[in-house]
Amino acid sequence: MPVIPVAGAERFANLPASPEETRRIVGDSLRLHDVDQATVDALDPLTYEVIRHRLTSITEEMGEALKRMSGSVVVTDCNDFDAAIMDEVGDVVQVGLYNTELAASLDMAANWTLRERCARPGIGPGDMFLCNDPWVGGGLHQNDVSLFAPLFVDGELFCWTGAVAHQVDLGGVSPGSWSVGGSDVFWESLPTPPVKIVEGGEIRTDIEDVWLRRSRVPKLVALDLRAKIGANNVAHERLRALCEKYGAGTVKAVMRRTMDDAESRLRAKLRELPDGSWTSVAHQDSARSGDRGIYKIVLKLTKDGDRLVFDFTGTDAQVDGLINCTFAGLRGGIMPVVLTMLCGDIPWACGGIYRCIEIISESGTINNATFPAGVGKASVASAWATMNVTTECLAGMLDTHPEHRKRLMSVCCGTWDFALLAGVDQRGLGFVTMLCDSMAGGLGARSDSDGVDTGGLAPIPMGRVADVEMNEFAFPMLYLWRREEADSGGPGRFRGGVGASSCFLPYDSPLGGVHLVVSAPGKALPLANGLSGGLPAGTQHDVLLRGTDIAAQFAAGRIPGSLAELSGSTDLLPAHHETDLGPDDVYYTHWQGGGGYGDPLLRDPVAVAADVVAHKVSPRGAEEVYGVVLDADYATDLDATTTLRAALRRSRAGVDDKEIPA
Amino acid sequence: MSVFIDENLEQDDAGLVSCRHCSARVGVAADPLRDARVRESAPRTAGPSVRAEASNFTDREVVFRQAFCPECLTLLQAEIVPADEPSFRIRSLKLVGA
Amino acid sequence: MAYVIGIDIGGTFTDAFAADEHGKVAGVKTPSTPPDFSQGFLTVLDELAGSLGTTTEDLLADTHYIVHGTTSTLNALVTGDVATVGFLTTRGHADSIAIMNLEGRYAGLGADQVQDMVRTAKPAPLVPPRLVREINERIDHKGSVVVELDEDGTRTAIRELVAAGAQAIAVSLLWSFRNPAHEKRIGELVAEEAPDAYVALSCEVSPRIREYSRSATTIMNTQVGPRLRDYLRPLEAELRSRGFEGSLLVMQGSGGCVDSADAPSRAITTIGSVLTGGVVGCTRLASELGHRNVISTDMGGTTFLAGLVVDGEPVSTTSTVLNQHQLNVPMVDVHTIGAGGGAIAWVDSGGNLHVGPRSAGARPGPACYGEGGTEPTVTDVDLLLGIVNPDNFLGGRKQLSKELAAESVRKHIAEPLGLSVDDACAAVYAIQNAQTADLVRKVVVTSGHDPRDFVLYAFGGAGPMHCASYAADLDVSEVVVPLGPTAAVFSAYGLAASDIVLTAELSAPSNFPVEPEVFNGAFAGLRRELESRLSAQALRFSEVAYRNEVDMRYTMQLAEVATPVPTGELDAADLDAVGASFGQRYEQLYGRGSGFAEAGLQLITYRTQAVGVLPIRPTLGAVEQSSGDAQPTSQRRVFLDARRGWQDADIYDYGVLAEGHELKGPAVVEAPTTTVALPEGCVGRVDRLGNLVIRYTQA
Repeated sequence: MPVIPVAGAERFANLPASPEETRRIVGDSLRLHDVDQATVDALDPLTYEVIRHRLTSITEEMGEALKRMSGSVVVTDCNDFDAAIMDEVGDVVQVGLYNTELAASLDMAANWTLRERCARPGIGPGDMFLCNDPWVGGGLHQNDVSLFAPLFVDGELFCWTGAVAHQVDLGGVSPGSWSVGGSDVFWESLPTPPVKIVEGGEIRTDIEDVWLRRSRVPKLVALDLRAKIGANNVAHERLRALCEKYGAGTVKAVMRRTMDDAESRLRAKLRELPDGSWTSVAHQDSARSGDRGIYKIVLKLTKDGDRLVFDFTGTDAQVDGLINCTFAGLRGGIMPVVLTMLCGDIPWACGGIYRCIEIISESGTINNATFPAGVGKASVASAWATMNVTTECLAGMLDTHPEHRKRLMSVCCGTWDFALLAGVDQRGLGFVTMLCDSMAGGLGARSDSDGVDTGGLAPIPMGRVADVEMNEFAFPMLYLWRREEADSGGPGRFRGGVGASSCFLPYDSPLGGVHLVVSAPGKALPLANGLSGGLPAGTQHDVLLRGTDIAAQFAAGRIPGSLAELSGSTDLLPAHHETDLGPDDVYYTHWQGGGGYGDPLLRDPVAVAADVVAHKVSPRGAEEVYGVVLDADYATDLDATTTLRAALRRSRAGVDDKEIPA
Repeated sequence: MSVFIDENLEQDDAGLVSCRHCSARVGVAADPLRDARVRESAPRTAGPSVRAEASNFTDREVVFRQAFCPECLTLLQAEIVPADEPSFRIRSLKLVGA
Repeated sequence: MAYVIGIDIGGTFTDAFAADEHGKVAGVKTPSTPPDFSQGFLTVLDELAGSLGTTTEDLLADTHYIVHGTTSTLNALVTGDVATVGFLTTRGHADSIAIMNLEGRYAGLGADQVQDMVRTAKPAPLVPPRLVREINERIDHKGSVVVELDEDGTRTAIRELVAAGAQAIAVSLLWSFRNPAHEKRIGELVAEEAPDAYVALSCEVSPRIREYSRSATTIMNTQVGPRLRDYLRPLEAELRSRGFEGSLLVMQGSGGCVDSADAPSRAITTIGSVLTGGVVGCTRLASELGHRNVISTDMGGTTFLAGLVVDGEPVSTTSTVLNQHQLNVPMVDVHTIGAGGGAIAWVDSGGNLHVGPRSAGARPGPACYGEGGTEPTVTDVDLLLGIVNPDNFLGGRKQLSKELAAESVRKHIAEPLGLSVDDACAAVYAIQNAQTADLVRKVVVTSGHDPRDFVLYAFGGAGPMHCASYAADLDVSEVVVPLGPTAAVFSAYGLAASDIVLTAELSAPSNFPVEPEVFNGAFAGLRRELESRLSAQALRFSEVAYRNEVDMRYTMQLAEVATPVPTGELDAADLDAVGASFGQRYEQLYGRGSGFAEAGLQLITYRTQAVGVLPIRPTLGAVEQSSGDAQPTSQRRVFLDARRGWQDADIYDYGVLAEGHELKGPAVVEAPTTTVALPEGCVGRVDRLGNLVIRYTQA
């Protein structure tokens, strides 16, 4: 059924408002703290650095608090969360080193709350607002739940703090809230615009009940709510002490200057680069189960002097399915790459960094979708594809500069390989969990070195996967293997980092099997492209073997080392799928690596040989793609390699074959 | 004075783009791969990284599209994309002084 | 006579401290002698004997035990000079040590390095693929055998590894801590196939859930075990030949020591050997001074280390990170939180002033050393602010240049910021102190405590120059600068005053409470293991104490909290009390209301620590009592507080101070090993043991 416009939805279609506009709307209903430019200018370097360091320290403490208190594997073990300090209108002064994709739109949510909630129900000391409405911001899809809190000093709203984390299930048709059959948002978790869930320091139990009732794992969601309250409390206590010691005006001046500093340093870096435009495309295959389409996001990045214009004109219209993202998702796709590739040595004060960026995007497209388009997997669908295309364009820009090109990466692991398990665990309790193994994606190749193998995901500087033993203890599953996959890193003069695979069967559940939801594109075509002649990373590959002889093999003392060693019927899974696994069924999921950099025929043959020994590249890959000939001991035959490379150089270009005009 | 587009290409003051390995002309600023040798082939020719045929998942034809230096045949750009789409990948530097 | 001796071998100096049972003490210092550190060990013994007015032979003959803090295992791992190890693991899981839970890309890095994500990388895998073999065998989470061990395949694998050059074999199989049968059998097969090879089993080295860190711990243990054995055996033989009949003990990262014969089989526990001496020294001094809670801060030339003593015991952790690998090693929790006196001050491209985290290190060192360093460091600033006397640095061992320091501050800080050199120095000094306070505070708070409940101890060459300022920011009640006879060799003192500490643990994840017999049985097993290891130490103990703890968590949480458990047989009610005590500890760590008991509890790991108290405990004698006020030896201009600027300060020579002397800031105390800065508003008082105790009379 096509998406039908919903009257009234436009109030939630949030676009960032300027500080001036925000102050005008808030008017007299709330006193917003401010500081004049003279105070900012008068800051001495000593005070600035001391307070700036403390603000960083507070953001770290927030992250630590949230991580330790949370009950979600995705938070505690995979660092799929973040925390930030914002100024009085919501501009981000400091963001934590966790999932920056999540935090990139906290400013929008705090700012919307100021504009829409200041009169009624009002915003007061001790209040905290919860939000999982991707149109408002504060997260990219409904599973990203943010909790942000105004800090009042002397009766004025001084600043905001916010924490955001992925919640494993918030309702919707499919477990995990990723309704793979869905065509619009009504199949998914209900978006909740900012609601005052903590009032004057106390949880509103009526609101909490409304919030938790939707989830299949309400206790887990309740625990994470408390974790976020704790994180905000930690920050408020520290910020209050800071204001008492130095005065609110001075602290705010430091916040302003931190953002100004990030802005001016980014602008200075941009001025060192040549002007130009870099255009690229990112694809996604399949918008929902049964769909065989391929969708594109097109970006033309223009760098002019010290500013960047991201123009997404040409991007496909929003689709029936769950892969669209809102404008918050689009920003969430841009900011992580700007931070990691342009701001590795610049403070992560997004409020200042956004000032260097202009975004052109047409509403109603897959990365700027209107209500009620399905956005249930936005964070790893259209927001992620936005990140991929942003990576290619920014990397192209950096590639022009002898120094700055050291901080480019090719596209990292093309998407999130989603595998959700649900059912009854070995202790007889219900469970829902997202398998987070695919957090160990390959990172893109650099201009001077290989991408990091199983090194993580682009927006999460500190990702993590749980040990096999922890997963087997927590959930009814038994692994046959978890291993790096040869050839999954994009070939190139510098190779993309390899991805990996996990292969497991249901084990020890009183039900015999488990429920499985799969959502992982990149099967019809790779999603992590290479750069400067580097090849794309491998494709996503998920296989379900039904009715295998695994029990007999175990009894005979064998552990199968590949799918070929197992009997049974083989289902090549599409991008979106939902099914049940029986006790003799084996599921294999193989996620992606990073794109390569440079022509693979220019790769050092010795490095290729080392890759073969380390199972990063197969012997076939070494020969067909890299043109490297190895002897029986995997040492390089240099003469044979030279000959093969010369031949490959001609044959791959179709010389002696028919030529296809551009 | 020329500027580097990447490790394979450079652009001179007049906006001409050439190969850094063999100096062959490859294109112009607005269309830096205009004269490149472009070849399309089945995705599996990209090597063992393509794990399964695209036809299992989509009805659109998918191709491995490569652009080479017309002289030395260095690979300048590679992509695996729907066959009916043009290449969107363009790195276009502004002319110095323009 | 009966002596105990502590010998601490660091990269630069070898320190020794001796005490007899009557309170006679001596401390000496000699240069370390890499690569053969045992040379310095023997030299420092000679000097120690000389200082006590006896001969080395007589000293050794009267010595009950020597506690040795050694950097050798850590050095071996850092430099990669380790045994070639072959690794056997469960089929399908060899890549665990390459995937490193992916956190190996950033573990142990500072925030500035993590932020620069594009430039991060994993270290090379602990064992290269050619030395790894996968074995057909499988045990499940309950400890049941799913696939029997393939013995023929294992024998083949062992022979292949030896043929490929493996000198030692590490074995780590999935779930071996639940059922060690397969690992133990592989141990036997290695003994048959490769009788000379050193072998380590994960079920013995680290029987804890989470295969990546268990494997990493087992492999690193296997890499350094043979090296430690080859270092200690000849050293002990040499001591015996010189008449030593006592025990040679090796300090572990846990803050307790272990007999040198037992050390190589658990070599990995000694990696924190030299880091912990300072915290252990603080613990002993704190018990002399009656301080229950202490923040230990050790600021040297290249590092700043912070640790905690709570309720008279060092705060420990159950794991550590080395070379970006996650290891299961019980350690005194020592945080490296900064760059020490060598921290470089710099101005970024946005015109902002920073201090650290980069350090000039020992070479080229600060600009004022005149050894090629051009960037300004904290030490340069300390010199220019009048805190350090250029003629009396390290007791006059190094002459410092004010000109070079000033030139470097002028060029790199003052001119870019448009400040005077004085103002630039003042800013660097204040930023360094404020950052230190931030970091120390985080160490205290993240372990669930409030800095206001602590006394801060400051030692190391640079610590006392800054402590009065950074401690003020923390609101601690007072600051102690150890300046008595132990000052120069504080870590060696800690070693001499330590106990034997052995730890045994076992993961057995289950819902909590478990049946009391299961619980009691687990601890009884650990107790038996420790009793047999203690009796193998060939030492008399004045007392043996056992401490039990369990790592617990709320069912859905993955962060476990170590929770103390009473010893002895516990019943169901006692177990409920353990659950409650976990809840309290949890809320202390993570805040009131953070606990979520409705989720249910899980017990993950049982752990017992045995403490064998050694019969001789060095005691420190009192210093002379003062008669009359302290007399300054001179005055000079110093800049200790940005609010007050340059001031005239009294300069005191520590050598002429006595118990009861009170020194009012602004003042500077010059001691042989360090310099103490007392800003205005502070009073320093010399206590009965010769330490300087700093209190604040105003903010």
